[in-house]
Order: sequence, then C-alpha cells, then structure tokens
Amino acid sequence: MPDHQRQVHNRLAVLRAERGLSRKQLADKLGINYQTIGYIERGDYNPSLELALIIAELFRLPIEAIFSLKPMTPLSEEIFREPPAEAR
Amino acid sequence: MNTATTSRIEYLPRSRRRTLVAVALAGYPVAVAALAALKHTNLNRWLILALFLLLLLPTLATLAVGYCYARGRIDGRRARLDERDLALRQEAYALSHRVLAAILIVATAVTEIYLTSGNTLQLDANTFWPAAMRVIVYIPALPSLMLAWIETDQPADA
Repeated sequence: MPDHQRQVHNRLAVLRAERGLSRKQLADKLGINYQTIGYIERGDYNPSLELALIIAELFRLPIEAIFSLKPMTPLSEEIFREPPAEAR
Repeated sequence: MNTATTSRIEYLPRSRRRTLVAVALAGYPVAVAALAALKHTNLNRWLILALFLLLLLPTLATLAVGYCYARGRIDGRRARLDERDLALRQEAYALSHRVLAAILIVATAVTEIYLTSGNTLQLDANTFWPAAMRVIVYIPALPSLMLAWIETDQPADA
C-alpha cells in the first residue's frame, strides 16, 4: 500500500472463516485474484468502493460492518456488549 | 520454465526480489566498466571476453527472474487482471518513468560536466554499443523490475 494511503481495517478474514470459504472460493465469487483477498485481509491493499460494496452485498452486511477507518473490535464483543444505561 | 520454478519465483520474498532487481540494474554497467578496465591490461582477449560474460550472466539471470515474476501482469497477457493488479501495474510504470528520468538526468549531467571540462567524447561502436544495449535491455525490462521491487510479500495461503 502506498505510504500516503490510510489503512482501511476490515473483518474479511473473520467473515470468510465464518462461512467456511477459502480465499480462492471468495475470490472466484468476487471475480478477483485470490492473492488480492489476502492483501485486503492483511491491510496491504484497500479495495475500491465498488469492490467493497460487492463484498458487503455478498456477505449481506452493511459496508461499515466489514470495513472501517478505525481498528475493528471483535464481533463477539460487539454482539455481547451491554447497551448504554439510557437505553436500558 | 516448469510450474514449480514459476511458482517459486512468484513467491520470492520482497527482500530477495529487491536484491535481484539491484543486481539486474547494476550488473550490466559493472560488466561494461570491468571490460573497459580489462582492455588496458595484458590479459588474453578470450579471457577478457570470458570474464565479461561471467559478469553479464547474473544480469541476464536476474532480468529473466524479474520478467518471470511480472510477466502477464505488466504486458496485460494474464487472463484476469483485477483492480489491485491494474493499480500495481500503473504504479510500476510510474516508478519506471521516474527511474528512467533520474538515469537520463544523471547521464546527461555527467556527460555535460565531462565535455565542459575540456574533454572530447568520441562516438564510435565502443561508446555507442553499451549505451544502445542499456536502452534495448533496460527500457523494456524496467516496468517488470519495478513491479518486482514494489510488490509486498504475498500473504500465506489460507
């Protein structure tokens, strides 16, 4: 990734593992090379907006659940996080 | 080249790729400089030629490795170039242009200084041939070498 580019964090590896997909299988579904999946997962390559939207569509998740500019918290932590006091 | 060799080249770590690129770029000028120096010695002509070819061998080998690493992606012959491949190719071409511009500027400046210092430059086969070889060999190979230089290590398979 070029130095001037900000790193986009993602949950691609977790989502792929959850669905039992190999990099090759996911790449085939997305129409890209399997190495590119690895580079995205490792944070070495930021996908285009188009590819990010296609990935979100494939996993049927909002794009912000997969990609973020901030480091992502573990999914389990988000699921079981206690709601804020005013919401209770 | 068989599949195992091609695959090994494809997975070369970045540090080793960068060493190969440096050898490919420096090898030929070093061989030409050595040839020019050896011409003034009493060594046998055939021995000089053998030494020159021996020095040239790493350049040719590393150029071949660089070409194998990037082939299909630089010339667009690979069946499917995805957005990352295209971005990387664009970056490699841009870097090649910068490197080429730097080499031309330095070469022009050195020649200019040499000529303005009262020296003369005789353009004959001995001076033209090494320069022509650089153009013939390096200009087509430069984008492949730059791609081998900039690409990060491939992620482990999973």
